[in-house]
Amino acid sequence: MRIRLAALFFVTLTAVLSGHTLAADWQQIQQQARGQTVYFNAWGGSETINDYIRWAGKEVNQRYGIKLEQVKINDAADVVSRILAEKTAGRTTDGTVDLIWINGENFRAMKANSLLYGPFTQDLPNYALVDTEHKITTLYDFTTPVDNLEAPWGMAQLVFMYDSARISQPPRSMTELLAFARQHPGRMTYPAPPAFHGTTFLKQALYELAQDPKVLSKPVSEVDFDQVTKPLWDFLDQLHPLMWRQGKTFTSGSAEMQQLLNDGEIDISLSFNPNDASNAINSGELPDSIRSYVHRSGTIANTHFVAIPFNASAKAAAMVVADFLMSPQAQAHKADTQVWGDPTVLSMDKLSSADKALFDALPAGKAALSAQDLANVIPEPHVSWVEPLEQAWQQRYAH
Amino acid sequence: MSAGWNHWSRPGSNATHIKAQVLNNSHLRWFPRLTLAAFLLPLGFGLFATWLPAVGYLPAIGAHQLSLNPWQQVFNHPSAASALWLTLKTGLLSAILATLLSLLLLMLLYDTRFWRIIQWLLAPVLAFPHVAFAAGLALLIAPSGWLMRWISPGLSGFETPPDWLLVKDPAGFSLILTLTLKELPFLLLMSLSAVHQLAIRQSLTVARSLGYDQYQSWLKILLPQLWPQLRLPALAVLVYSLSTVELALVTGPTTPPTFAVLIHRWFNDPDLQQRLTASAAATLLLLICALAVIVVLVMEKLMQRCCRGWLINGRRSSYLKILRPLAAPVAAGLLIITGLNLLVTILWSVTRRWRFPDALPSQWSGRYWLASLEQLQQPFWNTLLAGMGSVLIAIVLVVGCLEYEQVLKRRNARFDPSRTLWLLYLPLLIPQIAFVFGLQTLLLTLHLEASRISLIGAHLIFVLPYTFLTLAGPYRAFDERYQTLAIALCRSRWRAFWQVKRALLTRPLLLTMSVGFAVSVAQYLVTVYVGAGRIPTITTEAVSLASGSDRRVASVYVLWQLLIPLAGYTLALCWPAYGNRHS
Repeated sequence: MRIRLAALFFVTLTAVLSGHTLAADWQQIQQQARGQTVYFNAWGGSETINDYIRWAGKEVNQRYGIKLEQVKINDAADVVSRILAEKTAGRTTDGTVDLIWINGENFRAMKANSLLYGPFTQDLPNYALVDTEHKITTLYDFTTPVDNLEAPWGMAQLVFMYDSARISQPPRSMTELLAFARQHPGRMTYPAPPAFHGTTFLKQALYELAQDPKVLSKPVSEVDFDQVTKPLWDFLDQLHPLMWRQGKTFTSGSAEMQQLLNDGEIDISLSFNPNDASNAINSGELPDSIRSYVHRSGTIANTHFVAIPFNASAKAAAMVVADFLMSPQAQAHKADTQVWGDPTVLSMDKLSSADKALFDALPAGKAALSAQDLANVIPEPHVSWVEPLEQAWQQRYAH
Repeated sequence: MSAGWNHWSRPGSNATHIKAQVLNNSHLRWFPRLTLAAFLLPLGFGLFATWLPAVGYLPAIGAHQLSLNPWQQVFNHPSAASALWLTLKTGLLSAILATLLSLLLLMLLYDTRFWRIIQWLLAPVLAFPHVAFAAGLALLIAPSGWLMRWISPGLSGFETPPDWLLVKDPAGFSLILTLTLKELPFLLLMSLSAVHQLAIRQSLTVARSLGYDQYQSWLKILLPQLWPQLRLPALAVLVYSLSTVELALVTGPTTPPTFAVLIHRWFNDPDLQQRLTASAAATLLLLICALAVIVVLVMEKLMQRCCRGWLINGRRSSYLKILRPLAAPVAAGLLIITGLNLLVTILWSVTRRWRFPDALPSQWSGRYWLASLEQLQQPFWNTLLAGMGSVLIAIVLVVGCLEYEQVLKRRNARFDPSRTLWLLYLPLLIPQIAFVFGLQTLLLTLHLEASRISLIGAHLIFVLPYTFLTLAGPYRAFDERYQTLAIALCRSRWRAFWQVKRALLTRPLLLTMSVGFAVSVAQYLVTVYVGAGRIPTITTEAVSLASGSDRRVASVYVLWQLLIPLAGYTLALCWPAYGNRHS
């Protein structure tokens, strides 16, 4: 008992002490950051998101004297490739990437190959406000432990969208989806894996159809892959001939799906941002009648992050920017469906009442999900499932 | 000895002086060397740095062991075999189709009124960026595309688009169509410049007096002379068709995709070990391209042997005549498709809402254009800098090389210029994906990445061959006697060159520069890799937006991407007229 008390005292003491040094350190980091330029490598396919990053750039410039330059990329994997090339060339300082928008497999690859700087998020003041208790994916990125190597930026959940002018009751499970396809042949599709929306669709279907979904949290090597995935392939064998273009060709991702939904070629699209539909209605990309829904079993959820490469040139400024992106102001602005509509990583319970009011004041989007739907999430399968699933899919449907 | 004495004893003699002028231009010999070095070095290193990982050596991910494992990985991939087959099919078919079509159009339409229209429209059509062309085509012909919107629901009865497999079909027809349509104008432009060097009208007159009709004379007399000039452009088209990633992503099949798309995917796989597989596959694609080139060359030899008898059999009638009535409609059709393609892109750029089956947008908006004005400033200057920089260097190098050719020609009358500098075309015969990764490593080692200088240098690799391809024809066709006369009159080779030859060649020079500029503007992969993404150009912005869902913004950027090289062409076409009037 005494030992425990002593231990508790010790832990508290170090926490308090490190809290002090932390604040001092943070001031030092902010000073160092002034005048630095942060090259933020982030997907540039959405003007909505680009606009938000421009806004963030103006803010950090005013507040901290940091210049934020978005390097608009097609695919985060391009950047992983570039950092790898820098490592190949022995470039351990003065790298070309300061901050990268990342999650999932790309994060795992960078972590496994020691391409990341950190751990650093424990030093960011706003990290304390992150809801690590309920939003468990802020600690486990596609089941890979984050270990403070990336700062949570936004929450994502697989959601489906449909045109309520055409469909009264959307199919709220994979089985219902098959029934829907039987009734309306050629009106639904999903992106081809390994595009990540496609792979997520496979995982979601596997979760819903597997006899015992719990095995998905184990590494794939510990289970009988063929047996577990058999219901999935049976399902897809039936679904494909009923899909858009008889399943003979596929889309490249949610962006193309959304265009097809607007064109009226398909009735159901999918996204990783629960507020995508509301946002697209605002911008005129989708008609007013589009609504979002999730499957009854819940849908796969994850978090997206920003990370700093091991050889970043402006590490201090990158940390300040990462901290700003987690601030209540930046997170509330981002959650606004008129701006971006990306759900926050913060815990409302940890916010001051003034900060909480920022979130309460946000207008609800036209196609917003209920809080109940948003809470209905299922975890990503163990990260080792991705490769075999994609391989098996290609073996069956893409040769 | 006596010649030497003569030379020195009569310095005032014009003839000797001219000869001395010409032969003393040996400093020109540096131009071919510099030109080759400008791209062979980066190309060679880029290839080498891709070959190492292909045999299992990539220290950054802890791969030190030389092995053939990466190759096994390629062949074990479930999609590899069918993707390879698909690549061969689409690449070969589209290249053959584009070449045949361009030759047919040339033979059937040359010197008609229609031909002059084509000549005028060729440059703007060429300025159409590849990806934008493919995307526009899809917006046009897809079941929910513009054509279907015209007739829906009134004529077609479709309230929702029909489920027809028109774009991204597994057989690759839509990819073949896109490739053929996009490469055809390039081949036509190349034949245009090749035609300059042949005495077309005289040959046709002579042939006609011998009783051959126009088409037979083309086939038997002109085509065999023309082909050597068109061989390299045709091979470049073949290699491009086999290795394009961007076009295949937009209109190519998905189950499986083409081999180049698979490579692209491996290079971008989050699992870094796949980098080895990608390198092996890229090397395999390089071998396939080399093999395809060899096959074409062998076929050409066989054709030559087989056709020898036919060429001199003296028969006068030609089946080609039957095709004559088709030529103009086909050419018109191609122009109309391209025109509509452009129009639908313009419409989308000013759209706010446009749903099927409306024939026109239901709500319009100019906000995307306005927003782009502010956002594109920096990319605009970068585009201009990279384009102008690489084009200016290229034009100096290429003119130097071509001048040196004249020197060699004088020394050796049997000298055949088309045999030299074939190396120049290497960048066009090597798939980009086979060396950009390695090139990036080289620049990083030299601390040269993300600098504007290296961006200009990297663009030069691709600008040079096109500059040479475009300029060589008219330049070689220049009557050297003007130049000789001018040297005799002003006694300075440089003055003669600048005041006479340059002046007379102003139009082809400017046109070449605008072609080179358009090539630079269109570069995506190399700009991203070399610039580390830190030097955004119009094209990098356009491509990154094309990956999103907003067609309206993407269309605005595509049009910028088209407008900038188009401004270059317009300048090239109008400047000589203006300049002549005011000088």
